[in-house]
Amino acid sequence: MTHATILLVEDEPEIRQFLCSSLGAEGYRVVESPNGRRGTLDAGMHKPDLAIVDLGLPDFDGVEVIRRIREWSPMPILVLSARIQERSKIEALDAGADDYVTKPFGVGELLARVRVALRHAAQPPSGKELFLGDARINFERRQAERNGTPVHLTPTEFRLLACLAKHLGMVVTHRQLLTEVWGPTHAGDTHYLRVYLKQLREKFEADPVQPKHLLTETGVGYRLVADD
Amino acid sequence: MGYAWAAGATVAATLVALGLDAYFHVVNVALVYLLAVVLVALRWPRGPVITVAVLNVAAFNYFFVPPRGTFHVDDPQYLLTFAMMLGVGLIVSGLTERVRARARAQAALEIEAETERIRSALLASISHDLRTPLAVITGAASTLAERGERLSAEERAALAQSVFHQARDVSELVTKVLQMTRLETGAIRLEQDWGSLPEIAGAVLRRLKPRLAEHLMMVDLPDELPLVRVDASLIEQVLGNLLENAARHTPPRTLIRLKAQNQGTHLVVAVEDFGPGLPEGDLERIFDKFRHRNAGGVGLGLAICRAIVLLHGGRIWAERLPGVGTAFRFSLPLETPPAMPAEALAGDVK
Repeated sequence: MTHATILLVEDEPEIRQFLCSSLGAEGYRVVESPNGRRGTLDAGMHKPDLAIVDLGLPDFDGVEVIRRIREWSPMPILVLSARIQERSKIEALDAGADDYVTKPFGVGELLARVRVALRHAAQPPSGKELFLGDARINFERRQAERNGTPVHLTPTEFRLLACLAKHLGMVVTHRQLLTEVWGPTHAGDTHYLRVYLKQLREKFEADPVQPKHLLTETGVGYRLVADD
Repeated sequence: MGYAWAAGATVAATLVALGLDAYFHVVNVALVYLLAVVLVALRWPRGPVITVAVLNVAAFNYFFVPPRGTFHVDDPQYLLTFAMMLGVGLIVSGLTERVRARARAQAALEIEAETERIRSALLASISHDLRTPLAVITGAASTLAERGERLSAEERAALAQSVFHQARDVSELVTKVLQMTRLETGAIRLEQDWGSLPEIAGAVLRRLKPRLAEHLMMVDLPDELPLVRVDASLIEQVLGNLLENAARHTPPRTLIRLKAQNQGTHLVVAVEDFGPGLPEGDLERIFDKFRHRNAGGVGLGLAICRAIVLLHGGRIWAERLPGVGTAFRFSLPLETPPAMPAEALAGDVK
């Protein structure tokens, strides 16, 4: 997977330059696109393994690039967003982006996200079993245990955990979770998530206020991380 | 309004003049009318002044100038009285108008000067806080670029690290300035939704972990806290600023405690530190911009906190803790909790 091709859609040449050298140093082949139109074309031409899309493009919105790629490809898409673009970040995730990094970012953070997304695309989680620290959850048999002791989960808690596990290591927006677990009529009922995540943390986290697995992405959604 | 005063002044002057008429010469009586014109001119613009002058002349003519009881004038010298009355009225009115205009201009200048003072304080403060890290970045980066090959790997790594850290500080400062500007100009729209304070706190603690590493962090949140309707990203900033503030102003290994309490109508969140405490002075003013300026901060953090909490209909304040230390507290109004899904209601959980 080290020779994966990454499409980089970013208008700032300086940012492209440092991303190219850091991604290149990791063994990735990088295709650079300076704008949305070019990026959409390059995505079709080079068939990259992953796309990194900046949200502040000069010609059209990064969200539009994501929509167009999603029309034909399930390739993982990472979004680069400035702090001021909170809204379009969520829009981008709901449009099909898999994760995001907020500018300014350390390159380590971006590389970690790239690795998770590529690993995820190459080997999607089986959806059968999940290990969270000292807990094991079997989705097929609907069983959970922690330190060898069975943990009771309600059907909704199972569904919620399964939905997060499907995107293991990546962010899932409130809307995505609510739609998948409770249905589209509940897409705005964020308080359901607050209550259920609290319950799940009480069952699986050593310290529910400072969780290691069921992480909050404030204002965006949640991220399930298996390893500490 | 001025015209009513003009009419009133004429009536009053006439009554006074009629009272004086028996004892004084008619020319002195005219002075009463002149006084009425001057008084009106001191307060009102040209229109009412002309009105009172004309009315006074008419009244004076009717009641006092022979033949009395008519508007006919026998002696042409009274024409001069009329002209004088009008002239004095207009001059006084003109003078007071000019003084008033000058006072208005002065006030406008003072407001402008105050705005300018705040603006230059902001600029001075920001440019100071930008200049130092930028000098470090320029120096370290140019050393790396021009003399990198002469340095040991450790030295290069140290320089690169300092560029990284300083650049991050600059970027945070710029974000804060932008945030303050957006809050002040009302460009921020609250995106309120049901949020959980422990959840927000958890996210902040994770984000600030490296900065709080040298302090002893104690999280003391009750198990059952009601949900709050907040813009979670903004409340995260408030908590973050308060925690960073506590870490910045207390020595390493100081205890910092995060607490929350349900007070019925409000949720009160507190960040307490057991550090040296706040210096003497007004506890309210530390929330003003640039009041709290010192080590590594422009003093925008607390001002941002206050603006965000106020937007949420809450209150923020600081307290000196008995003995030693400081508490920053803010309140968030509690609303009727939202309806929960059937499963939770059925008690299937837990």
